[in-house]
Amino acid sequence: MPVPLSRTAIGDAERELVRLAQGGSEPAFETLVRRHQQRVFALVNGILRRREDAEDVVQQVFLKVYISLKRFDQRAAFSTWLYKITVNECWDYLRKKKVRPLVYEADLSEEQVSRLDGAISAERPPQGPSEQAEIRELLDRMLEKLPEEDQQLLVLKEIEGFSVEELAQILDINVNTVKVRLFRARARIMDVYRRRLGSSHRAGPRPAPGERKA
Amino acid sequence: MNAEQKGTACPEYEVLLEDHLSGGMDAERAAKIAEHLKACAGCRGALEDATASLGLLRIAEPTPDPGPQFPHLVMARIRAERAEQPSFWQPLVSLSWKFAATAALAFALLFAYDMRAAHQAPSLTAVSMRSATSNDLFGQTEMVQVPANRDEVLMMVSETSTNNDQR
Repeated sequence: MPVPLSRTAIGDAERELVRLAQGGSEPAFETLVRRHQQRVFALVNGILRRREDAEDVVQQVFLKVYISLKRFDQRAAFSTWLYKITVNECWDYLRKKKVRPLVYEADLSEEQVSRLDGAISAERPPQGPSEQAEIRELLDRMLEKLPEEDQQLLVLKEIEGFSVEELAQILDINVNTVKVRLFRARARIMDVYRRRLGSSHRAGPRPAPGERKA
Repeated sequence: MNAEQKGTACPEYEVLLEDHLSGGMDAERAAKIAEHLKACAGCRGALEDATASLGLLRIAEPTPDPGPQFPHLVMARIRAERAEQPSFWQPLVSLSWKFAATAALAFALLFAYDMRAAHQAPSLTAVSMRSATSNDLFGQTEMVQVPANRDEVLMMVSETSTNNDQR
């Protein structure tokens, strides 16, 4: 039975892979790509929210990593360095393409609202892949209504599974700032949700907590 | 300070509320937030919202792994980029071509100047010869200066003719 590797052993193995890749070993670099590809994809999707462009951006990220790998001194973890390159590449992409969040003006139908409500409360989970896809699209449409930063934090934390500490490191902000922004982003997504439902749960949209209590 | 409106958290409790939501708080902080929640309807409402947001976001699925073929695509792109990139010597080669072009131009200019100077040479020789011959009559030798340009030729011609007139 294989013995699970400790965190230190994984870190040591990664450092060795980086060292080999720095020496020009393509198999070592390929292994690094394989190890991190899912997280890099998740990060790119969380920031761009455009899966159709993600593959190209992720390839570009690994190309940049390959080119600048010799300059990486291994003082920080390879993943931290890689995620920073990823974030910068995403900003470059957004700047070059002048991508703006898509705006969905049309409101949801009664049927869609009922499906969404059922899925959220877990009383009526989506039936089959097409309904699942539809529910996810409805959530995407609600996320698109939020400021970009809120979208990114919620998606990266709650959907892609990045920790608060990782987000602080990747986005170069304080851990407590991440927590406050996340908490406010949660309030905003629920506002969007309520507006979509047309519920009388609250009278009209509610500003974010920080905006009211300056 | 408690929030006046239900659903609006107190700013100084937002970090604690986020920690409360994700769990993993120590007993002291958990007691502090529990005590505050009893008294603050705003924070209670905000916490309800935040908890509901977890249910909302649970619908989405994380990005799937791009698959075992992806590293091969990355390596293929790296190789393609490397093949397109200029070699280490490329800047030196292009610089040497620039040098060669500049040298060829300089050579062409010098050649053109020489050709022009050769055209002017017979009249200069004639001036020098005339000057040398007249000096020889007095047994003196004089350095024959080669004019650098057209103006110097004219000056030499005028000087020579003035000297001859004075004599």
